[in-house]
Amino acid sequence: MTTRAVLGRLVGGVASIATLALLRAGSLTSMQTASDDAAVLRLSWSARPERIESCHRLSDTELAARPAHMRMRWECEGQFATYGVTVRTDGRVFVSDTVRGGGLRHDRSMHVFREFALRAGSRRIELELRRIEADTRSDAAESAAVASGSADANRETREAQERRTRRSESLPSLLRIDTTFTVPPRSVVLVTYVVAERRLVLRTP
Amino acid sequence: MRALERPAHRLLRAADAAANRLYGWHLNPIYQTGAIAVALLAVLIATGLYLLLFYRVGAPWASVAHLQADPWLGRWLRSLHRFASDALVVAVALHAWRMFAQARAWGARALAWSSGVILLAVLLASGWTGYVMVWDAFGARLAISGARLFDALPVLSEPMRRIFAGDQPIPGAFFFLNLFLHVALPLGAAAGLWIHLSRLARPTLSPPRALLIVGIGALVALSILAPSPLAGEANMLAVAPHVAVDLFYAFWLPWADALPPWLAWTGAATTLGVALIIPVVTRRPRTGKDAPSVVDDRHCTGCNQCPVDCPWEAITMIPRTDGRTTLVARVDPSRCVSCGICAGSCAPMGVGPAHRAGRDQLEALRLVLGASPPGFSGRVVAICCEHAAPAHLAPLRAAGAHVELLGCAGNLHSSVIELSLRGGAAGVMVFTCPPRDCRGREGPKWLHERLYNDREAELQARVDRQRVAIGVMAAGDLAGTLVAWHDFTRRLAPAPPEPLISVDEDLDALCDPQPLASRVERQ
Ligand code: HEM
Ligand code: SF4
Ligand code: SF4
Repeated sequence: MTTRAVLGRLVGGVASIATLALLRAGSLTSMQTASDDAAVLRLSWSARPERIESCHRLSDTELAARPAHMRMRWECEGQFATYGVTVRTDGRVFVSDTVRGGGLRHDRSMHVFREFALRAGSRRIELELRRIEADTRSDAAESAAVASGSADANRETREAQERRTRRSESLPSLLRIDTTFTVPPRSVVLVTYVVAERRLVLRTP
Repeated sequence: MRALERPAHRLLRAADAAANRLYGWHLNPIYQTGAIAVALLAVLIATGLYLLLFYRVGAPWASVAHLQADPWLGRWLRSLHRFASDALVVAVALHAWRMFAQARAWGARALAWSSGVILLAVLLASGWTGYVMVWDAFGARLAISGARLFDALPVLSEPMRRIFAGDQPIPGAFFFLNLFLHVALPLGAAAGLWIHLSRLARPTLSPPRALLIVGIGALVALSILAPSPLAGEANMLAVAPHVAVDLFYAFWLPWADALPPWLAWTGAATTLGVALIIPVVTRRPRTGKDAPSVVDDRHCTGCNQCPVDCPWEAITMIPRTDGRTTLVARVDPSRCVSCGICAGSCAPMGVGPAHRAGRDQLEALRLVLGASPPGFSGRVVAICCEHAAPAHLAPLRAAGAHVELLGCAGNLHSSVIELSLRGGAAGVMVFTCPPRDCRGREGPKWLHERLYNDREAELQARVDRQRVAIGVMAAGDLAGTLVAWHDFTRRLAPAPPEPLISVDEDLDALCDPQPLASRVERQ
């Protein structure tokens, strides 16, 4: 080996060490993801939108004319509600948007996931989820008295119960949060919907 | 795209030259990137199996922390797994660059190219899942960015990001699916590697032992001396101020987070599309030096040598239709990359790309010999691969060489050497590329076998081996080329002169001790 070649190998050794150092640096590059006073407001929930429908009670003859598997004493037509969501912090509107149920016919649960940058510190947060459609639903179906002793009494009771359950599981027509609190630095403020309580809650770390 | 090949090639040559100066061509790692990638995959599988023993989907971060706390094995094996994955991305990127710069993406190589692109995508995806497994701030960030991109697709009505909202624990099913992908994707990559190499005969799957030991040893040393730290567990209700990002796997992260998802998807799809379309846009017409090899049935004796030697398995033996009893070679043009190696393997010179078969080489040599002054008049001939190191040709000429160029040293029919000596050359030195840089993949190897180990079509025993030599011409190592040249020419000085042949002599009789006519009769 010539002196030149030996020198080359020595430099090669140093270059290898430098390459390893670069490899490690590339593997562990520190990336700043948030400034010290940054925080996040996160809206995240899944809930069933309300169903807006008008119902009418079938007569015995009408009921008998339906195929056996489609016999329901109350027949309802309608759609699922859409909602306007508005978020303000310290009076400034962050978002004003329309949300609706999932699926092609919007008949599935409504899923919301939005994030907004916040500044840490004392903040007033106002959030409103308001049904857009006017309430055209006839409550007759829900509160209908069941003809006692009729052959269909059980079915009708069951139908009424199902409608009540569906209604209790769906979003109320108006939900609001209006609160002022201290947003900790680098925290995520989470707004979510608690199905059992039918209300929006705001969680801070 | 073809316009980019030239600058890419220039850059590659500069990188090769630098690495040759630093490590010598034997150990130049950029010549070995494909084989290094295979070795690194093996390291990943071995270390990954160990890590898998301790991983728990129910407590992902805690289980990794448990490994990290073990200074004897867990910590550095975890780091080795990480650094080897990083090195793998670098090796594969260099490998793809080499293939592109050397115009090795089209024709019969298109399958290797496109499967390579898919392999790289699978590799990046499995790195992604690997980091999510750790479930530190970086892992969570990758998961959330991935979910954001996924949510933009009309697949699920419930946004995947809801999993990471922080209102409920992350379901174990998520970590299970992620672990499944992290194991399944590399298994898919193994199958992909099989497709990747399916058109190559004898793919080189291991780098030279010294490089293997030193390379893996260096990664082990790095893992022991400067192991990768483990960041705190991901917290869905906090924003991490800094995240230690692995740029080799998450170079796209800043873009993906900053751009609207549809634009990020468009960018990714366009990049993939461009990568996949390279075989089409770099395709050349199959003429000139890219013409496929053809067999001249009259000369083929059915010896079965060229199918064995062809590095792309493009030649098969089929029954003849002309009444002779032997098989005859047939080249499948769609598998032939026009490397010309078969031209050097056929003793009766019956195969090779147009104008590059053994007979064409002898014809060309005859023209040189017929020129004035006739013959080589005692000069030493250097037959050089045109791809090796064009910058070395002028210094070689200045050192007294009569330089002849060839598409690949493996094309050289051994008769050319004999004819050159008999045409008055004092000696013949064949300069090849560094063997692992051969575009024909096996040119230098077969040349060596034909000259020194009696592989068909061997250099005849009557040729004085003292007057023949093989040298390596490596970019950046002009000194090496000239030292080899001077060693050879010094050795030549006392050699007795060969009887000069006439340029009109019968080629078959000259090049094959058993003339073609008698071979055919015997069959
Ligand atoms: C995990 C990733 C990869 C591994 C392990 C790998 C490994 C290899 C190996 C061992 C060879 C054979 C080399 C030889 O014996 O000559 C090869 C050939 C090849 N690779 Fe890859 N490769 C990978 C990714 C890629 C990528 C990303 C590309 C390009 C986009 C690519 C393009 C090619 C081509 C075109 C060939 C054929 C070379 C020729 O026929 O001349 N590979 N690869
Ligand atoms: S090397 Fe030549 S003789 Fe032998 S099979 Fe191939 S073409 Fe025929
Ligand atoms: S030129 Fe010959 S050796 Fe090369 S790929 Fe084509 S058939 Fe095979």
